[in-house]
Order: sequence, then structure tokens, then C-alpha cells
Amino acid sequence: MTDIATRGTRVVATTGGRSRHNGGGPRAGTIAAFLIPFFLPFVLFYLVPIAYAIGQSFLVVRRTGGQYGTSYTTFGGFDQYVQVFQNTEFWSSIGRIGLFGIVQVPVMLFVALIMALLLDTPLLKLKAFFRIAAFMPYAVPGVIAAIMWSFLYSPQLSPVVDLLKAIGLQPDFLGPGAVLWSAANVSTWLWTGYNMLIMFSALQAIPQELYEAAKLDGASNWAIAWKIKVPIIAPSIILTTVFSIIGTLQLYAEPAVLRQISSNISSTFTPNMLAYAVASGNNYQQAAAISVVIAVITFVLSFGFMRLTSKRAGL
Amino acid sequence: MSNTATRIRIAGAVVAAAASIAGLAACSSPAPSGDAAAAAPAAACEPAKGNVTLQYWNTVPGMDQVVALWNKNNPNIQVEMKNISNDQYGTIGNALKAGKAPELAQVGYDELPDLRTQNAFVDASACADATAAKSKFVPWTWSQTSFGDTGVFAFPQDTGPMALYVRSDIFKKHDLEIPKTWDEYAADAQKLHDADPNLSITFFDPNNAEWFNGLLWQNNAEMYGYAGDKWHVTVESDQSKQVAEYWQKLIDAKLVRTDLAHGSTPMYAAYQKNQIATYVGAAWGYSMFRDNLPDQAGKWTIVPMPTWGSSAASGDWGGSTVAFMKGNTHLYESVKFNSWLNTDPEALALENKLGGLYPAATAGSALPALAEGVPYYNNEKIFDVFADSSKNIDTSFTWGPTQKTVNLALQDALAKATAGDGKLADALTAAQAAALKSMQDQAIPAVAGN
Repeated sequence: MTDIATRGTRVVATTGGRSRHNGGGPRAGTIAAFLIPFFLPFVLFYLVPIAYAIGQSFLVVRRTGGQYGTSYTTFGGFDQYVQVFQNTEFWSSIGRIGLFGIVQVPVMLFVALIMALLLDTPLLKLKAFFRIAAFMPYAVPGVIAAIMWSFLYSPQLSPVVDLLKAIGLQPDFLGPGAVLWSAANVSTWLWTGYNMLIMFSALQAIPQELYEAAKLDGASNWAIAWKIKVPIIAPSIILTTVFSIIGTLQLYAEPAVLRQISSNISSTFTPNMLAYAVASGNNYQQAAAISVVIAVITFVLSFGFMRLTSKRAGL
Repeated sequence: MSNTATRIRIAGAVVAAAASIAGLAACSSPAPSGDAAAAAPAAACEPAKGNVTLQYWNTVPGMDQVVALWNKNNPNIQVEMKNISNDQYGTIGNALKAGKAPELAQVGYDELPDLRTQNAFVDASACADATAAKSKFVPWTWSQTSFGDTGVFAFPQDTGPMALYVRSDIFKKHDLEIPKTWDEYAADAQKLHDADPNLSITFFDPNNAEWFNGLLWQNNAEMYGYAGDKWHVTVESDQSKQVAEYWQKLIDAKLVRTDLAHGSTPMYAAYQKNQIATYVGAAWGYSMFRDNLPDQAGKWTIVPMPTWGSSAASGDWGGSTVAFMKGNTHLYESVKFNSWLNTDPEALALENKLGGLYPAATAGSALPALAEGVPYYNNEKIFDVFADSSKNIDTSFTWGPTQKTVNLALQDALAKATAGDGKLADALTAAQAAALKSMQDQAIPAVAGN
């Protein structure tokens, strides 16, 4: 093993030396040829839009002439940002999403972890079936999933509601208190399988020798799961958490679809919905500022969480 | 973990790079010079020398067949159309920003001032045919497309004069008279509820500002005015409060449902299950019931809207115009096509048949299809009701320049009220504030009150 690795390194070193001799020309060209297909779209469709949004967020609209005068934009400093911070709708949408995330993310990841651990035990039969079944919802586009669930929530159409009424309950899945959790349920249904799969593939990478050693030391399956498997796949759990935090802050499709049948989801229900509503009112500069603030909050939360957990876990 | 660490570094670099480019992108559009700032003068109206192709964007089902009919008879003025019903105003807004707007585009009445504030239109009044078209349209529609006779920015296409749809079988069963006033309507609502708690007279959809605005319009609740170089915002007025308080009473007494979204599957299900006895709707709604509730053929009748006082008054809900868009260099041809599209009996008949449009042209009510009885409605001449309604619509009603934002604010606050947080009248306060704030954001001079 060591031998091959060393030899490999040596080969690379030789090649590098030779090309330095021949001058950088053709090699730089080759590198460029390989990198351009990535960098060009990356710059065009990633960096430029971000830069454009940041640029827009520093502009304000001014107008000359009467009732229908001509508008133009000019530099307005942090004007738009001041408005974002003073916007109570924005902060209540962040608060709503915060509540959503604090409850939905741990529940979803806990269920995903349990499912991944179950799939990984030798006791479970029909593994391939359960793996695919659990992953299946992820293959359904979010909008379709939300439409499907909206039919299950609607008192006019839902067999579930009829069933619950038959046993004496009065469910109101679309009511002002419940609708946030109905949206959370759709997200959980959609994403649990996906997160499970990430954790499950991490479990698959654990060498069997570890389990043998643990068994020889008298560890039960329970102890193996919580004391060996979970700590080893901690990086995957952290990764799924970060993805979920990002996904939560960008929540749009599920509530936007449920809004079609429930007036208890306002046009400013989530930060992204607010940004969209503001943009549709021609206030692109304010929408850009909202987007930048959402991005910064996402950034701080994701990396803050990563830093916190990597210190704790000693990773 | 090393993977993630790399990702953090890359992400850091991305942000740094983006921030540096931001400096470049932040260059703003220059302030227009004095000449450009003045209202754009009416463009010239010269016929083109050669053949012309016009772009026309719309959301009307079957419009391609209407355009095909025009193209067949007018080889020199060809029209290419695009259906933009997926995202009507998003598509128009983006095209305007890119300087690639079509010659003609469909714009709702309530969006006209908004788009004009974005400099979206060109004034076609240099064309004699354009100014002469005034007499061909229902007065309130011309008043809105000409912005009070200050130019010709669009031709009216269709309207949504409002009326009351009634389940005559349910009314008969409970021995109710057709209500003539809103007070009688409320009394009927109470009787229906007393007879059967699962039966409501109608539903109130808080997420439908367009509908609510139609109710305000009926009560002459002027929301905007313009005087002294300023917009005057009167969304919150005695008339609008009267409407809000009326529906609040019905909601408080649980006489109307608030859990149904207009046009949604649950709404049709509720009608299908005979849970709702009336529908406060517009002319274009006749085909909705016909197509979605075929079982209820013969059970519906259409009568004038209940009124606030003794005099007949109605409102409009929906309808569209075909606007002359910025950058249009073929005004002469555009006026010719637009005029045919919205006043020619053959075109109007086809649009009514395929797209369900109720014409804004006064000649529209004489169309054979609109003079006949409609089988679904017991062969009643329902369009006579809409024609009368159309005549009773206040012509001075004006939409605001940030109507979309105001509508969203109104809806959010109405929804809060129907969920038990506040009253419907509070939504008018919220909408009033949103109107002033959004106009301030767009640097549009505005004050509250008359």
C-alpha cells in the first residue's frame, strides 16, 4: 500500500519537473481548456447574478416629472438595508422560519438517522425495498408533493380529515396555528429519505472490523449503534443539518402551494416569499437587499453551526 | 470533514469575489435629462413602407385562432402572438427591462397605472383611429385606458361587470326572495343558516383583493385621486369601511365561509355538495360554473348585484386591455390590428366563444352569442344582466400606481381578520399604509386623504 502511494507521488513529481523544463505555455493552455467549461458558467450564472443583486441593493429609485414621471436609480447607500431591518414582516418571517427549523430539522434528521441505522442492521429483511421506499418521496418534485398534501389537508377533499372526523376529532390542518406545521410535514416527508441516504452511505463506509472488535468486547447492537456508528457518521449528520438549515431559510415551494388553498399563509410567510412579493411590486432594489440579508443569515447560521459542532466533536 | 472545510474556503472566496464585482455592477442608471423627464410626447403615426410584423402577447385561450383570422386577411400586417399566461407581468416586466417589449401586450385595468409608472407604454393618440375609438367602448374602460383622456395607451378588451349568481332551487326550497339590497342579502344569509347550519349564502375569500376591490368599486369607494402633482390615497374611506364592516358582520355571525379560495378545487367541491347558495361574481364566471359543475345545469340564475341604496350600482372585477408598449415603432399598424381585435364583431364573437371574454366594446352586447339564452342557465338571457351591470359602473374609479403591492397587503390583512386577528376594516388601514409606503419607495409623490 505504502509502496504504491510513494511510487505515485514520484511519478507526479517527475512529470511536474519535465513540464517546468518545457515551459508553461502548452500546459497553461490545457489547464484553461479544462477549467473554462466550469468557470465560464460559474462566473456568468453564479458570480455575476450575486454581484448584480448586491449592486442593486445599494440603489434607490428617484423620479422626475409629474404623475407618471420618469424613474431612474441612484446610489442610496444602506437605505434599502435600513428598510429591511425596520421591516416587521421580514423579522416575523424569519421568526416563523426559525420556529419551523428548530422543530422540523431535528425531527426530520432524527427520523432519518433512525431509519439509516435500521437499514444498516443485519436484522432487517427486504433492505433494498425499504431503502427505495424511504427515498421515493425525494423523487417527487416539491411543488407536486405540496399539491398532493394540500388535497390531504383540505377539509373539502381529504379522506384523512373525513376519517378523523368520524372518530370525533375536528382537525384543521390549514388553520392559522396549524398551517406552519402542515408545511413542515410536507418538507419532512420530502427530505427525510434524502437525508437518510446520506447517513446510510456514511454507515456503509464503516469497516466491518470495528463491529467485530466491538462484539468481541461484548458490545450489544444498541451500543454499537450509539457508541460507534453515530459518532463515526457525525460529519454526515452535521452536513445534513447544514443543508437543512439552508433549505429552511429558503423555504418557498411548500408554503406557496398551500397558500393557494389557505389564506392563513400570507404573502410574506417566509423570507423568500417576502422577497418575491416585493420584487413583483417593482421594488427590485428592496428585494435584492432582502435576498442579501437572507444569504448572510444563512451563511452565519450554517457556518456558525459547523464551527460549533466541529469543535465539540473534535473534528 | 476535510471536504466541508474546503467548501468553506471556496465559499469564502466566492463571497470575496462577488463583493469586488459588486462595485462594478453598482453603477446606476443615469438621471434623465430635462427633456426626457417631461411626459413622452405622442409618437408619430405613419404607415410603414413595407410589410410589418407585430408582436402581441396575451393570456387569452384560443387567441391564436383570432390572430390567424387577422393574418389571413391582412398579408401586409402580420401578427405573431405569444401566450404569457404562465407569468404575465413577470414576462412583460422582464421584456421592458431588456428593451424587448412586444408592440402590443395584454394588461389588466388595475395594472395600467403600475406599468405606466414604469414607463411601459407609448401614447398612440397621434393616430386618428386611436382617438376616434373612444366612442366604441364602455365609458369607464376608456377612462382607464386613456388615463382620463390624457392619451391613448391601450384599447379596452374585455370587462368583468359583476352580478349575483343564485341557486334558484335552494332559494325556492327555503322560500327566499331574490335579494335586491345588501341588507336583504344579509337577512337571506341568516335564514339559510337557521334552516341548515351547513348551508352558507356565499364565501368570503380574503386572498382575493381583486374581488374585494370590485365590491369597493360598487360602493363608489374611490381609492385614488390625482391633484396638485400628487396622488391622493383614500383606500381607507367611509365607503370602503361600510363594505368591510358589512362582511365582518356576516363573518362574525358565521353566515359566510372564509375557508375557500376562489377558483380552487375545494371551492368547487363546496358548491358541488350544495353547501353554498350564491356566488358574487363577474361576467366571465358564467363559464366557470358551466364547465366545472355540469350537474347543476338549470339550477342557477343570474341577477343584478344587491345594492347599498335604492339606486342601481355595480362594480367590475377583472378584464383586460391591449396596451401599446414602449418601443412600438409601428403605431399605425398596431392601432389597426388592436382596433379590429377589440371592436370587430367577428373577432369579438370568436374571443367570446374561445376565451370567454365579455367585450369592452359597446357593440359587444349586440353579438348574437350574447343576445341568446344560455342553456346552462335555463336559457335565460344572462348577458342582458351583465350589460345592465356594465352601464351602472362608476366611471371615475382609478387604480393606484402600486396596485399589486397594495392588493397583497390588503389580502394579508383580510386573511388575518378572517383568522380572528383584527377586523376587516383594519385591512383597509393596512392597505392605505402599504399604498403610501410603496409609492414612497418608487419615489411617487403621494399623500393620504383627499
